Amino acid sequence: MKTLTYGEAIREALFEEMASDDRVLVFGEDVAGYGGLDGVTQGLQKKFGTERVFDTPISESGFAGMAVGAALMGMRPVAEMQFSGLLTVPLDQIVNSAAKARYVHDGAMSCPLVIRSVTYPAGNAYMGQSLEAWVAHVPGLKVVTPSTPIDAKGLLLTSIRDPDPVVFFEHKSLYSNEGLVPEETYSIPIGEASLARTGSDVTIVAWLNMVPAALDAAKELALEGIDLEVIDLRTLIPLDEEAITRSVSKTGRLVIAQEAVTRAGFGAEVIAVVANSDVVHHLKAPVERVGNPGVPIPHSDRLNNHIIPSKDDLIAGVRAVLSS
Amino acid sequence: MTQLMPKDLREMYRLMLMSRIYTDRALQLFDEGRLPTGLHPSAGQEAIGVGACYGLRREDWVIPSLRTTECFWTRGVTMQQMMDAMYGNKDSVNRGKESFHHSGYPSLGILAGTAIVAAHIPVAVGAAKAMQLKGTDNVMLCFFGDGAAARGDFHEGLNLAAVHKAPVVFICENNLHFQTAPASVEMAITDIADRAAGYGFPGVIVDGQDVLAVHETTQEAIKRARQGKGPTLIEAKTYRFRRHYPILAETRPVEEIAEWSKRDPVTILGDYLLANGHMNVSEKQELETSIIIELDSVVARAEAKQAADKSAANSTVYAEGAS
Ligand SMILES: Cc1ncc(C[n+]2csc(CCOP(=O)(O)OP(=O)(O)O)c2C)c(N)n1
Repeated sequence: MKTLTYGEAIREALFEEMASDDRVLVFGEDVAGYGGLDGVTQGLQKKFGTERVFDTPISESGFAGMAVGAALMGMRPVAEMQFSGLLTVPLDQIVNSAAKARYVHDGAMSCPLVIRSVTYPAGNAYMGQSLEAWVAHVPGLKVVTPSTPIDAKGLLLTSIRDPDPVVFFEHKSLYSNEGLVPEETYSIPIGEASLARTGSDVTIVAWLNMVPAALDAAKELALEGIDLEVIDLRTLIPLDEEAITRSVSKTGRLVIAQEAVTRAGFGAEVIAVVANSDVVHHLKAPVERVGNPGVPIPHSDRLNNHIIPSKDDLIAGVRAVLSS
Repeated sequence: MTQLMPKDLREMYRLMLMSRIYTDRALQLFDEGRLPTGLHPSAGQEAIGVGACYGLRREDWVIPSLRTTECFWTRGVTMQQMMDAMYGNKDSVNRGKESFHHSGYPSLGILAGTAIVAAHIPVAVGAAKAMQLKGTDNVMLCFFGDGAAARGDFHEGLNLAAVHKAPVVFICENNLHFQTAPASVEMAITDIADRAAGYGFPGVIVDGQDVLAVHETTQEAIKRARQGKGPTLIEAKTYRFRRHYPILAETRPVEEIAEWSKRDPVTILGDYLLANGHMNVSEKQELETSIIIELDSVVARAEAKQAADKSAANSTVYAEGAS
């Protein structure tokens, strides 16, 4: 094993897959010359050339559409949206051109593309949006949300190889987090959650940066003898329903940790999984959703900490399910 | 067109100089970790916002680009208002909900764009259409960068403006780079103004470092718009003198930066005023000193004020009192 940051792990996946499969292309704003605003694509153009790694104009709809066309012709494009809030711009190409391609061709065509989308809930009301639920709603798309270096690398490799379009969410606040990654090549299947922490009192279901927040909350609550189980979904679509029901049947208490607005968010889907199964009878308390209370992200850092969910909000959520 | 008098030229100079001094102070505050916001510094591009907005009617509207800080000054926003907005103070324009460059000042005829580059262009067209429908001859000025001209919203917006003969003036601040990449990445032509022909209205190139040229060109376009003759696309060739955003590294060739720094719009106008006897050296010095002194107290006041709080953060998502 070796130590890599989350950002380095993603870069390694891109290097490996570009080296082993010359159909893989990387493009987006600032990805080639600059190497990505956060340095994730650094060195790729130098190694693989300007034909396979290139900067685009500010044309998210245009280059997402190009990714679709190239994928339909057998390439493996990986296009970057430098802020997840930008997903609103290429949404038609992703939701319609990409997601429906296989279905409308009755299976005769594939659209194997990856949209890397960088989530960061600060900065402003537009770019700071966490929009994973928007794409999770669309048949034909897969949605991947890794929280650790090992998962980021393994899942990006799988996503690029996947025959269907994948929206791959990364989180800016995770880029510098370190973790152990195998020396040898490996991959991680899409659709399997991981047990980030085993516990018996309350299940927290989280993804992306809310996983480390949940683990921090668990550490703090452990001092009081409260034992949290943390499920890292890793992939929202397809969803590992069994991992959720297995854990909730054990703990009987569920807290959802999401950075996105709670209303009609992905947490509601997780709750539906529980509500639709026999596990619902094991619930000892109403479910808590911790997330954005339904407010656009304020620009000022002095204001947005009231809106962006934190470890303390999670702890409050855990206390709420324990008190009833 | 109203002739500019020496006092107008001095006022334009004051606005440009103030903008430069303010911007560099804000960058310094950011570097010192005191400013809770970043900024897209306008240094080098001051002539555009000032030249275009100077002399507008109160009833006209503008939508600035992410970099057209000068729209705010020229429309009457004060340094204190701007600094309070940057600090997210309780008594500031939007209480920290949006950055200063995407802030609206409805009472000053400034509409806020969003952070989505070019999304404001069709919005400007709709606003102009409304002015037309209301039977006024007011105009809309819409500012954006060269990067925005690659977006679908730019093309759709310009086409719609042409079809509706909307009273809008599009002002492209072409500073030859977008974020970290050069213009060659975003277009296979040299002049964005050429695109206007494809929509059927005039496209004009102007020296963006020359405030008087910008003013005159914009006044022509405004006249056309007021007369119901439709939009104009003005491409101001310019250069930003600072990095795109404080945390991003410089990516532009040093020779290019050096070459353009010889054409400093603030210096160009200052020299013109001195050469034509519209201002003397000590007046120029006094002006600069007075701006710096005022700014010192502006910063001190902004830092001493209370930040907006949780109740502000949670408010105005919907109309208050609506069911
Ligand atoms: C649609 C969209 N894509 C990407 C971004 C990120 N971004 C912010 S500013 C910028 C560059 C803007 O360039 P330009 O329009 O030329 O204006 P300039 O910064 O040069 O003044 C980019 C790509 C954005 N805000 N909106």
